[in-house]
Amino acid sequence: MSIKVRIPTPLQKLSNGKAEVECSAKNITELLDALEKDYPGMKERLSEGGKVRRFINIYVNEEDIRFVNKEETALKDGDSISIVPAIAGGCGLLWNAESENRRKR
Amino acid sequence: MLTFRKSDLQTMIDHCTAGLPNEACGMLAGKAGKVEKIYCMKNAKPGPDFYEMDAEEQFRVMKDIRDAGLEMVGMFHSHPTGQAYPSSVDVEKAYWPGTQLPNYPDAVYVIISFMDRAKPVARGFSIEEGKVDEVRLSMP
Repeated sequence: MSIKVRIPTPLQKLSNGKAEVECSAKNITELLDALEKDYPGMKERLSEGGKVRRFINIYVNEEDIRFVNKEETALKDGDSISIVPAIAGGCGLLWNAESENRRKR
Repeated sequence: MLTFRKSDLQTMIDHCTAGLPNEACGMLAGKAGKVEKIYCMKNAKPGPDFYEMDAEEQFRVMKDIRDAGLEMVGMFHSHPTGQAYPSSVDVEKAYWPGTQLPNYPDAVYVIISFMDRAKPVARGFSIEEGKVDEVRLSMP
């Protein structure tokens, strides 16, 4: 089973400069393990405690895994995975636990 | 230097003004430091002090930019009550989580301040290798 994974620029040092790699996996959790096996350090950059890091978006073909089945999102031969860092920020003047909680509600 | 038309700046200001009192955001597509298309985008986590592009829209726009043979030369967002300068949150979010590896190494971060709502101020910055450098915005 071959799945194409587009590696974002900040992680290409770990993939020996490759912008696209191939691997085999039945779901995102297995994909993280497969990437780690071939490119040590990749799993820690992408996930924390088995969950994809906040502010990192992973798409299967064109679908955000958060709206499919998160880390259990199934993969099939020929799928194309994109790893894309979120674009976020802000003036942060009110940046504190209270405003973060307000956003979560 | 990042070059764009005066009408592009007005497009960004209008989008950010419509988003007040919350922050607003968008992407800048072009080539070789010249903006050719502005994407006014949704703030998925709107607040007066925060923005995050909608993940699906971000993906769609980035694909649109590639399909058009352009590059993402920058992005813009507003600071409704803050200066036109990257905040600590802007700097933190410019890097891959937990590292100082820039997410978008060649992108210019345009920040539009509405501290004086009658006279918004736009400035551009690169955020790389732990430092913020101003990038001149040119409107010939």
